[in-house]
Amino acid sequence: MRGKLAAYLGRLVRRNRVRADGGEVNANATRDGFVSDEFTASLPYWLPPFVVMGLAVYGAILWNFFLSLTDTSGFQTPNYANLDFEMYAKAFADPVFIGALRNTFALLVAFTVLCLVVGLVVAVLVDQGIRYENTFRTIYLLPMALSFVVTAQFWLWMYNQQNGLVNIILGVVGLGPYEWIGNPSLVLGAVVFALIWQFSGYAMVVYLAGLRAIPTEQFEAARVDGATTLRMYWRVILPQLKGATISASVVLMVFALKAFDFLYSLTGSYYPPKGSDILATMMVRQAFVANNRAYAAAIGIMLFALALVIVAPYLLYQYRAGEL
Amino acid sequence: MARLELDDITKHFDDDGETIVAVDDASIDIEDGEFLVLVGPSGCGKSTTLRMIAGLETITDGELRIGGRRVNEAKPRDRDIAMVFQSYALYPHMTVRENMSFGLEESTDLSGSEIDERVESATDTMGISDLLDRKPSELSGGQQQRVALGRAIVREPEVFLMDEPLSNLDAKLRAQMRTELQRLQEDLDTTTVYVTHDQTEAMTMGDRIAILNDGLLQQVATPLEAYHAPANQFVAGFIGEPSMNFFDVDLEGDSVVGDGLDYPVSDDVRAKLDTDALVLGIRPQDIELVEEVESGHDVAVTVDVVEPMGDENNVYLRLPDSPAGETFIANVDGRTLVDEGDDIVARIPEEAVHFFDRRSGEALRNREFDDEADVDLSL
Repeated sequence: MRGKLAAYLGRLVRRNRVRADGGEVNANATRDGFVSDEFTASLPYWLPPFVVMGLAVYGAILWNFFLSLTDTSGFQTPNYANLDFEMYAKAFADPVFIGALRNTFALLVAFTVLCLVVGLVVAVLVDQGIRYENTFRTIYLLPMALSFVVTAQFWLWMYNQQNGLVNIILGVVGLGPYEWIGNPSLVLGAVVFALIWQFSGYAMVVYLAGLRAIPTEQFEAARVDGATTLRMYWRVILPQLKGATISASVVLMVFALKAFDFLYSLTGSYYPPKGSDILATMMVRQAFVANNRAYAAAIGIMLFALALVIVAPYLLYQYRAGEL
Repeated sequence: MARLELDDITKHFDDDGETIVAVDDASIDIEDGEFLVLVGPSGCGKSTTLRMIAGLETITDGELRIGGRRVNEAKPRDRDIAMVFQSYALYPHMTVRENMSFGLEESTDLSGSEIDERVESATDTMGISDLLDRKPSELSGGQQQRVALGRAIVREPEVFLMDEPLSNLDAKLRAQMRTELQRLQEDLDTTTVYVTHDQTEAMTMGDRIAILNDGLLQQVATPLEAYHAPANQFVAGFIGEPSMNFFDVDLEGDSVVGDGLDYPVSDDVRAKLDTDALVLGIRPQDIELVEEVESGHDVAVTVDVVEPMGDENNVYLRLPDSPAGETFIANVDGRTLVDEGDDIVARIPEEAVHFFDRRSGEALRNREFDDEADVDLSL
């Protein structure tokens, strides 16, 4: 009781002293606890971006969610009075949606895993203290700087059935020619390969940074401990690249979800090559070709949920590591 | 356990077309069970030598033999060695148990239970049994150090290699681990090569010490030999704390003469001096402080600075003619009361004086030191 009283008196004295100094302190703003001076003073700095982000991103997501609960199609005004999950039910009964979902997962998993493996192998090779290391690093990273429109066109040429480089090379060993883009059972693999070509450089850079952070003594200790090179990487180095693996895979998976640009550029239309339809392409087609806006919104929300599921482990990892 | 032989070991590094000699023709014979300390200043090649023994660095020239077997080309895993790193290099994602069993899993065919047994007995020896399930990040520096040592002894190798293992510990813990390490090595009786830049560690731990400078082996000797009978001026200055005092002098008739110093030498001593350009060396511990000049070996000096250490004082003395800042050190009993600015007399006993060739640095005359007598005492 006495302690509280003393603290209160102390605050009173301090406040009076501030005002006695002639400082322009608003007596109302110093109401203890609830709204502090600092809070008011900092408002102009964070409030505008907060409002913009809140409306443009999170508000739009929320709006999209409500839109997905309506039955809107065509150019009619959405009727928000009658909300239900009809569009979600429709999606899971729609073979096109199931196919797109399957393709999305296949692309996501195959692309991410292979990209990480290729990136890791290249990073380990580049980390051997080779000559012109920086040059190699730049060369491997360069495809990532290219636009999807460019790389899609480039790979269309590469995959050309008659005179594409891929078929020419395979022809040397007596294989093919294959219809890489035209064959629905090959196209997804071809797209994954092209995307790996474009993004494995990114995985390499992330892994290279991770490898550099591991002290040389770790490698040496493992060698003196009798581990072969393969065992050393498997048991000592790779586990220490966990952070790099997680952050690289999150970025790669998000890229995989955005593969829309690449698929769009392959055909130049909302209809990607048969067999390569993913959720993103289907969503855009439903929204802007078929004009099923509520259906498209439902697909969008599911895509968003998918992205959240992907990012969640990363956030959890960061939180555990005390970086959040 | 094995004998470890370095035969004219040489290491060249290639730096942009320029050849840098890191280790030049080093030959050391390390007996089975011996504790050899490689000591020298930074960049002298001691770590490179150790890394060549470990197989982490290729050998440019010469031959390395472990237990009589040439191992120049052998991989680290085929050399039957264990190494303790300065940074400990514990695997951060593994527990203490996993850290210690890793080497056995990778290099032997022991079964899981045999490995567990060996790990547990090693942790008992190191007193870290209660830490088995912790990760390195949860251990203190001293505990990590013990795990690093445990990881080496659990392998039961022919040779231990230690690269400044104590330099990351605080002074008190370092002194404690020094003793413990020595005891451990005596118990295990494993051939050990220990690298340090700390001459105290070298003196106190080694059966023999090998002093390196600029890639050249200066001397391989017992600690007492290196201290009392250094092969050259570098060894004399490197071993001993505080360092030996050196004076540039010239032999003129019956005495050696330098800046502010005119020191008579006896015939016996003079007979050993085969050149005129000399360096006179005297250890701070051998200088006595007296009141009056009584003989030619007494020099009138001024006290510059006194560093009291409790049991002893380091007294910085200045010769009358020498410029400010140019001092030499006398190490005297802590109860000797001297103050800055005191005029006093330093007695430099002739039997404790060393002489070096000023050009080659080679020792021409070392202090009187009876090797035999010393051995008798230790028995």
